[in-house]
Amino acid sequence: MQRIDPDHHDGTSDATPGGTPDKRRPGELGFAVILLAASLFLLWEAYGIAGFDKLSSAGAIPMAASLAMVVSAALVALRTGRLPLDRAETLMRDILPVRVILFAGLLVGYGLLLRPLGFLPTSALFLIVAVKLLAHRGWLWTVGISLISLLVIWLIFRIVFSVLMPAGIVPEAEVVQFFRALMSGGEK
Amino acid sequence: MTALMDFLLVFSQPQLLLLVGVGTFAGIYVGAIPGLSVTMAVSILISFTFSWDVYPAISLMIGIYMGGVYGGSRTAILLNIPGAPSAIATALDGYPMAQRGEAGTAIGVTTVMSFIGGFVGIGVLALAAPFVSDFALKFQPRDYMLLAILGILLVGSLSQGSLVKGIFAGALGLAIGAVGRDPLTFAERFTFDLRLMEGGISFIAVMIGMFGVSEALLQLHHVDKTAVRQKISRIVPSLSTVKKHLPLSLQTSTIGVVIGALPGTGGDIAALMAYDHAKRVTKEPERPFGEGAIEGLVAPETANNAAVGGAFIPMMTLGIPGDAVTAIMIGALFIHGLNPGPMLMIDQPDMFWFIVGCLVTANCFMLLFGLTGIRVFTKIVEMPRSVMIPLIMLLSIVGAFAVNNSITDVYWMLGFGVFGYFMRHYGYPLGPVILGVILSRLLDDNWRRAIISEREDLGRFFEGIVTSPLSLVLFVAVILIFVSQTPVWRWGKARIFGKEA
Repeated sequence: MQRIDPDHHDGTSDATPGGTPDKRRPGELGFAVILLAASLFLLWEAYGIAGFDKLSSAGAIPMAASLAMVVSAALVALRTGRLPLDRAETLMRDILPVRVILFAGLLVGYGLLLRPLGFLPTSALFLIVAVKLLAHRGWLWTVGISLISLLVIWLIFRIVFSVLMPAGIVPEAEVVQFFRALMSGGEK
Repeated sequence: MTALMDFLLVFSQPQLLLLVGVGTFAGIYVGAIPGLSVTMAVSILISFTFSWDVYPAISLMIGIYMGGVYGGSRTAILLNIPGAPSAIATALDGYPMAQRGEAGTAIGVTTVMSFIGGFVGIGVLALAAPFVSDFALKFQPRDYMLLAILGILLVGSLSQGSLVKGIFAGALGLAIGAVGRDPLTFAERFTFDLRLMEGGISFIAVMIGMFGVSEALLQLHHVDKTAVRQKISRIVPSLSTVKKHLPLSLQTSTIGVVIGALPGTGGDIAALMAYDHAKRVTKEPERPFGEGAIEGLVAPETANNAAVGGAFIPMMTLGIPGDAVTAIMIGALFIHGLNPGPMLMIDQPDMFWFIVGCLVTANCFMLLFGLTGIRVFTKIVEMPRSVMIPLIMLLSIVGAFAVNNSITDVYWMLGFGVFGYFMRHYGYPLGPVILGVILSRLLDDNWRRAIISEREDLGRFFEGIVTSPLSLVLFVAVILIFVSQTPVWRWGKARIFGKEA
């Protein structure tokens, strides 16, 4: 039995970070059951597209795909249910620690505030809170690192890649125009 | 002559040359930092470059890919943490060398060998791809359909974990790819009567969420780990060292190209197989394998870079990705209005030769950057995760938004990020999901074309498969891939060979 080093997973997710192959991780069975229920719902929805109308109907591949999901999810759930629970792990420590829940919440908050507040204030807020939570350093360091990083990102993506993010409360276009005018010696 | 001009395009335009250089440089660092994967970097990059012309966009992505595959070896040698999976085997002998104060030699050898491997892979790509493409022109719609199934199955079955989870992931990808209005009948599919779903789900949002956000969330578990500092001396290897190991590097390059060309495999499998080969053929290494044998560095490093050229063969000729990064690059080509597959080689051979030119350039930049800038490198690798993780999250959000200027895409991305996080924890591979989304259209269109041409008769459809040698080979391959992963097969194998499979 070999525990997989979580730091050596490949980034494409095709390796399991942590856990052991012959034991069930906390919450694994619940996840498998949720997937099975969702697959059954999708199969029902896929049947609703065109039923068994024609083999070439718009619902053929969705039905085949959701049927494959149902069968494989059922097999996974059955197999997972048979495995003994890994007592060395806990859900709150190894799968869903408070830090992860907090960051998922921060991301949702970011998504909600992005449009009304705009990219720069929302990102500054996000980075300051996130870095402070993770680094446990002083406010000066946290705010400095966050704002410098944000400035670099903004310069690269706004100026080089021309990505237009929501401006919100910051008159971003006017600021860019001001500096462009400054660079061109005031020419219009 | 035209092919030569297309090949040389990247050298004739300073902007393209610069982008390949910047991409390779960035790729080396992305690949070197554990937790930052090339797949994630390329998937985020697509969203920023989709409004560019196709040539600059491809130049940058190829640079990142080539540099990233090599970059993983740096931290494998210096910190015993492979920055990328393709560098796992490199750590076995590279780190013991670093512990003896030979980190410079190890880095020099891996750089030169990666360069040699890269060239072998590109050479094979240039020679073999046109033939494979000609052959692929004989494909019928049912063959494309089988090819799409094969592609998804291969990624699922060859990756670590169970086949059933791989199949689930691939089927999920197909279902996600089907969301929206059907382009042929305009029927709603999986839209749940929501208008925002009628246009489908952006595969870039899925990709960034699954690879970028889930990666960042996973890294939260290891945020307190700090990098170990290393001292590095001379790194350019002597000519005699290179000459001595050239035969082994050529052998393992061949392994790399072949493994890389198989859909679903990649540099990681190629590197491990090459390492195994080196152990078997090297009779008298200066040091035992696992204790700092140079052959243990030569083999995986030539193989994983040779696999890059190999991975482009099925991508360019069949539209089937060789690995996760080429899967994303197929998506990038689609975004730029190109259609990877045999017709690309006929309609736009310039693109093929341009890509070969970019690969050659990236390989040269890799050698240049690999042998220089070592001090800057050690500083960047030491960047704390507490800053890196929020930055990855921010980049993922910007990337998802930038595609369509849509907050909805950001929500999809976040949703798939959290879902991908759980999938990874519970051993579901993500590669097949992305492949499923990308290949969904290919499978759907060709299934419908094939079955309509057989007048909706399933019997005639299977008769067509059995009577066409090409379809039969593909069909048997699909069945074999599937069956070989089942417990029945393993049981049978154990009975026949008298040992545990």
